Amino acid sequence: MTLTNRTITRRTILKTGAASALVSSYGMPLLAQDRSLKIGSYGGYFEDSFKKYVYPAFTEATGIAVESVTEPNSTDWLVTMQQGMAAGTVPADLSLFARDSMIKASRIGGLLKPLDLAAMPATEKFDPYFVFEDTTGKIGVGAMGWFTAMVVNPQEVDVPTSWADFWDTSKFEASLGLSKNFNSQFLDIVAATFFDGEATFATRDGIVALVEKAAEIKPNVALWWSAESQMEQGMKNTDIVGGQYYYDVAGLMKADGFPIEPVFPKEGNPQDYGSWCLAALSDKDAEAAEFINFSSLPSTQALMSRNIGTAPLLDTAMLDLTPEELAGVTGTPAIRPAYQAYLDEETFIKETWDKMLAQA
Amino acid sequence: MSAPEAELSADFAASSSSPAPVRALPRLPIAKALMALLIAGLCIVPFGLIFAISLGHKVEGAAWVWGFEGANYQRFFVGAMWPDEVSSMYLQKLGYSLYYAVIASVLAVLTAFPFTWFLTRLSRAAQARWLIFLLSTLSLSEVFVVMGWDILLSNKSGLPMVLRELGITDWAKGNGLFDWARSQGLASPRDFKFKTSVFATVLTMAYLVWPYAVILLYPPLSRIDQSMIEAARTMGATPARVMRTVILPTVRLPLIGAVLLLFVLLLGIYVAVSVFADPAQQTLAISIYDEVRGATLNAPFGAAQSVILLVTAGAFLLMGQLILNRRTT
Repeated sequence: MTLTNRTITRRTILKTGAASALVSSYGMPLLAQDRSLKIGSYGGYFEDSFKKYVYPAFTEATGIAVESVTEPNSTDWLVTMQQGMAAGTVPADLSLFARDSMIKASRIGGLLKPLDLAAMPATEKFDPYFVFEDTTGKIGVGAMGWFTAMVVNPQEVDVPTSWADFWDTSKFEASLGLSKNFNSQFLDIVAATFFDGEATFATRDGIVALVEKAAEIKPNVALWWSAESQMEQGMKNTDIVGGQYYYDVAGLMKADGFPIEPVFPKEGNPQDYGSWCLAALSDKDAEAAEFINFSSLPSTQALMSRNIGTAPLLDTAMLDLTPEELAGVTGTPAIRPAYQAYLDEETFIKETWDKMLAQA
Repeated sequence: MSAPEAELSADFAASSSSPAPVRALPRLPIAKALMALLIAGLCIVPFGLIFAISLGHKVEGAAWVWGFEGANYQRFFVGAMWPDEVSSMYLQKLGYSLYYAVIASVLAVLTAFPFTWFLTRLSRAAQARWLIFLLSTLSLSEVFVVMGWDILLSNKSGLPMVLRELGITDWAKGNGLFDWARSQGLASPRDFKFKTSVFATVLTMAYLVWPYAVILLYPPLSRIDQSMIEAARTMGATPARVMRTVILPTVRLPLIGAVLLLFVLLLGIYVAVSVFADPAQQTLAISIYDEVRGATLNAPFGAAQSVILLVTAGAFLLMGQLILNRRTT
């Protein structure tokens, strides 16, 4: 079933391995064309959709052949890129990185090549937030977005209007599923709901206050999930009646008839996004520029939203998506995660969060 | 191999040493060298690598670099914020590793013992069928077993559903039992729930190693001399007394050996704990994986925790060996 496939492989578990990497490189016919490009994306449903909808349209528009490469997830792919660099190979010319992994790659240094945005006119329409620049230049351009959203089982509970409702033990005792990872944006939700948003992450006292507020929700949490599939099963089996989950996947589950409602409460939901980044050892600058330009076109952003369920990074007014199609992939307001703090205070936040969970 | 057997083979080697060495000698150095290579390749090199990584340095917000520092070991005992703050979180996780492994291995051996005892009383054909069945269940991976128990304990199709349909949930709500279960984290306001709980974790872990327990206990139990039991019965001993004074003393060493082996096996269990244990009760194996594969890319700290887990397992095996040796002399 595609849903399960997608939820497990897209962002979390390394499941595909070398075999599927091999299969995927055969997935696109390697035509005897002069120009080609190796592009990495998250394996499973996600990559399959790219091979089915996006790459053929790109090849048709530009004549550049695409060889698809499987990334298990951003963090593991970063390790693969590092090892590839050390061995002098290029695992993929263009890779998809979540923002935190991209900043990490930038800090490790020497892994990514600055992009020439003059060769990609379509990127001018992006909010500058989606073009990441470090000391070497612009190293990442936004590809697509996704939301971590509030979800509830509408058959069991009333749909809340605020994240604060989840702290109400009279309504949600031992009933919620939240992510166990310190950087899976629950702290950003706490910051947006009870504090000053990203600014609260600026000091260690602020971070401790966030974690202490998060600790107050513990009696209401029945499942601290580490893999998406746990949350999916928990909602399907009614072990839990609400929590934090991916907006697009929840929408797919709802479409399949499961009792789940993805919600945009008044504080909003955290938005994360993937960026296209060029490997430092790649010599396909020109082809990569053409692909990023293609990916940034309103028509391609709409194509991805429609067929892959990702949130568009352009102003929705530029897109030809229907209101229903838009509601299925995006919403407002969007909470922007405190990426910088998660990296600068990595060990501190992780251990403070883990201690809260371990009651140690 | 148990200690008496080891002594036996040593005796045999000593008594037969005078005529044999001429033929055995030329082959020995090659075999020894191969053995040494095998041990070096499969044990020492990987362990050395893990130890070397554990001395590495984590770069905040990036990955890690090779180094030579004990900070990761210090963090294990006092936490990363030391000296401002002392945390025993990682010791607590090690404690849970030991706690689950001890309970689950003892539980598996205690329940496998009567089963295996009755199994050895069956006909040879029946024994063979049971053993083949048990061996085939070993082909189920940990993930598969955990998935199965996940469904068996889930609200919609598992044990809570059975309790609800039988009216036990409503009955418990009437007499205060349900409120007690809620205070213990074993119920939501609506239904009983067994995920996440120590109960589900230990149950699944014991289930995972149960076939191993039977297979470990089968040889010693089936080797027990029937005539000893008959002699005891003839002299008026009750079956319970025969079990206590004849059978249990005979298989005491294999019983302890089985518990030790399963204990070490269970120390590293990952999937069952990650699915069934609350974060407050998770083990070192989970923490190691989170560091090495998780978002922080902190392989050095993961490696340091691995070394400590390995040393702990080694210490327990050594202790077991000492106990076994004392019992035999």
